[in-house]
Amino acid sequence: MASPRIVQQGIKQVKPLMSVDRTEARRRVLNLYKAWYRQIPYVVKDFYLPITVKMGRDKVRELFLKNKHVTDIRIIDMLVIKGQMDLVETANIWKQRNHVMMFFKDTVNPKPKDFLSKFYEGQE
Amino acid sequence: MKGMKVKTDSPVTRKAREGVMEFLLVNHPLDCPICDQGGECDLQDQSMAFGSDRSRFTDNAFTGKRAVEDKNIGPLIKTIMTRCIHCTRCIRFASEVAGVDDLGTSGRGSDMQVGTYVEKMFKSELSGNVIDLCPVGALTSKPYAFTTRPWETRRIESIDVMDAVGSNIVVSMRTNEVMRILPRLNEDINEEWISDKSRFAYDGLKRQRLTTPFVRNNSGELVATDWETALFDIAQRVKDANPATIAGVAGGQADLEAMVCLKDMINRLGSEVLCTEEAFPMINSGTDFRSNYVMNTTIAGIEESDLVFLVGTNPRLEGSLVNARIRKSWVHNEMCVVLLGAPVDLSYDYQYLGDSFSVLKEIADGSHPIAKALADADKPMIILGSDAIQHNNGSLILDTVKRIAKNTKKSLNHPDWKVFNVLHRNASQVGALDMGYKPGMDSLKCDKPSLLFLLGADADKLNNDDLHGNAGVIYIGSHGDAGAQMADVVLPAAAYTEKDAMYVNTEGRAQVGRQAVSPPGMARHDWKIIRALSEILGVSLPYDKLSDVRGRLAEISPTFDRPGRVEETGFDNVSDDVTIDKITHTGATAPVVPALLKLRDFYMTDPISRSSLTMAKCVQAYDEAEANPYSKPEAI
Amino acid sequence: MASKLLVSVRQLSRLNYGSPCFTRAMSSITSATGSTDVDQKKDEHKGITISVPDKVDLSTITGVPEEHVKTRTVRIFVPAVNSMQSGTFNSRRWRMEFDERERWENPLMGWTSTGDPLSNTEVHFSSKEDAIAFCEKNGWDWFVEEQKKPKMRVKSYGANFSWDKRTRVSTK
Repeated sequence: MASPRIVQQGIKQVKPLMSVDRTEARRRVLNLYKAWYRQIPYVVKDFYLPITVKMGRDKVRELFLKNKHVTDIRIIDMLVIKGQMDLVETANIWKQRNHVMMFFKDTVNPKPKDFLSKFYEGQE
Repeated sequence: MKGMKVKTDSPVTRKAREGVMEFLLVNHPLDCPICDQGGECDLQDQSMAFGSDRSRFTDNAFTGKRAVEDKNIGPLIKTIMTRCIHCTRCIRFASEVAGVDDLGTSGRGSDMQVGTYVEKMFKSELSGNVIDLCPVGALTSKPYAFTTRPWETRRIESIDVMDAVGSNIVVSMRTNEVMRILPRLNEDINEEWISDKSRFAYDGLKRQRLTTPFVRNNSGELVATDWETALFDIAQRVKDANPATIAGVAGGQADLEAMVCLKDMINRLGSEVLCTEEAFPMINSGTDFRSNYVMNTTIAGIEESDLVFLVGTNPRLEGSLVNARIRKSWVHNEMCVVLLGAPVDLSYDYQYLGDSFSVLKEIADGSHPIAKALADADKPMIILGSDAIQHNNGSLILDTVKRIAKNTKKSLNHPDWKVFNVLHRNASQVGALDMGYKPGMDSLKCDKPSLLFLLGADADKLNNDDLHGNAGVIYIGSHGDAGAQMADVVLPAAAYTEKDAMYVNTEGRAQVGRQAVSPPGMARHDWKIIRALSEILGVSLPYDKLSDVRGRLAEISPTFDRPGRVEETGFDNVSDDVTIDKITHTGATAPVVPALLKLRDFYMTDPISRSSLTMAKCVQAYDEAEANPYSKPEAI
Repeated sequence: MASKLLVSVRQLSRLNYGSPCFTRAMSSITSATGSTDVDQKKDEHKGITISVPDKVDLSTITGVPEEHVKTRTVRIFVPAVNSMQSGTFNSRRWRMEFDERERWENPLMGWTSTGDPLSNTEVHFSSKEDAIAFCEKNGWDWFVEEQKKPKMRVKSYGANFSWDKRTRVSTK
């Protein structure tokens, strides 16, 4: 049934997280991307990952592009902070290999996407 | 009172409360570990909140606590009368709400016993509600005994589909198994009660279940296969069939989502033949106007009425909670009840007019005294049972009753009050009619279908003669009942506790029932089966998620978009003008009687209750009770 | 020769390999963000406000997997009173729960297994609006079931003993 959607299209004034406008947030995101891009070869070497540097860099691009629809500056800041935390943990080798490989989901069986496969497979 | 100082938490008050609890517990056995009410017991709650922490029961003289024999009041209610604290809730319920005066007290003081005095079965369709009422574990559910504790169950709120009332229930489940069904408060429909069938038929959900798809092989046996084989077999049959005569039949417990998917798919295949098992006369406007087939005054509206005219219905067994509401009105609001049909015991007094159609005709003409009573009444109601209009004379009966309603409305003081109501027996009927299904299978039998889809249709109304040649029958349902027996391909679907589904009750109120457990084995949700089938047949339906199907339902009718609310039916005057024909009947007509007359038939009306062991035990106990001289015999 | 071997061994040595990498890593983060750690809030922004759209969608930062945001529906309701007891305390707060997914009996101990991480999630709220705001923020599809309150009835004990009305009880 159609749930009554409260469509809010207003604007509100809030305290910023770190950036005050889109350009500053964009600068943060791009700096984070550069840092990750430059760190990838060292990540591959440190953890003896079974991937090439190109695969790693493609994965970084993919993860950044996944959130490209986000427009709220505070959420962009939050995502940047989380990305930075991830980078510090990876660079200082506080993570282990399987944690880094979780981004690639190589041990996850892909779930069926279309209706008929899902129907044959199970309840959902 | 003004100026009074009431201390609710002083030491004296607390002492007094502890004293009262002590008195209650003096003769109460130490049964908590083995009592079913543990965890949901009012006595436990009160003694935790208000009682003393230690007992003073030293029993130096070794007199022990009082013990009382257990009473046998049927296969549904387990009685351990030692635990009874004589609150008399069960007695008052049986007498006032259920209308069955069987329970009472005998003896006084310490020797007071609550029971039926002579061993009698508590013969009421609302008997299970005393289990909820009893604050201690004296009256508990026999099928549920010793199965689970309340804290280890999950409670899922849902809707009951055993009859057309749509009572709100709570399904208690543990580890993917339905453990019991309890009522939920809904002031508009069932207040706090549910009928015995709704409460106890859940063990039928585990028996006779279809868990794999079946395909009939050349030697006539149904062989278990997997989904792909079954669906491709159906695709082959559809290719061979004549597209204009592919038909679909919706059963009594089919949900709205499945019905809309079936209709869309069959329409896309090129056919318009979709009907329900239950018939409704299609004269003139037939089911075009909603007010023709819905309980217009709503169940809560019965309380405002002052005269109810029941035509060809046995509300006690067809819609037990509607009967409870009529009884409530009869007791508290001085309502009068007039019955035309079978002289059944309805738990209240009514004026019996016989069962002949001529009486109905006289009332319509105005020559019968009841016609005057209807005209004088402030808010009269006419309830026509769907049961009585199943056969050929149904159109005549419907026409006459509508004419009576129209005449009554002329002298009505309240312009908004609706007079005409229909009480259905099936949970799916109103929804199917709202959606455009044709009622009754006569049109189906006329143009013999070359391929038939049965959506849970188990009323055994079709046989092979009605089908064209070597037509195929595909059964989509949850239980292996009559429909699966005549089918060529059997697809296992989900029962009402296993799917998120919407049902429309007899008032026209759509309600959402929720999934409590997952369908067993390889069974799937009904609408998903039809959607998958449509994809294989090439007419893929555009719904991928449940919300898409609900969106489609909202497109069809605003009723389906607003669950929980009853939409007022309009256009009464227009529908009256269009529906009522100047039919003059010739010859004698059959009596206007409902089919469901005996309580033993009440227990076995749909596939789930037919597969239930508890319901079978009820029928057996009823037969034994017939031999009991103290048991009140059925009126018929 | 030996020095070359030593150099090569030194190059292969983990620690030797690690330290240039270490400083390199740190310098790249430093060059990117200005510090070796995560960005912090600056005090110079005190008092400044920014404009953001009213509708906040936190689904990217809550950590809930995407399939459990897009495919799940939330039901906001007041739980029904247990009909076996008289207590109504549980029916004061609004609650949010997710649609049911498959549960089965675990063959080892007979306990209930499920593949649904949100199966036991129930969040309590004091009002319906709070619950709706929470669901909107997190990006879930929701629907509300209105609370069903019992109707207050006018009762009269004397009616049980009336001499002419049907409310006269036969069980005293």
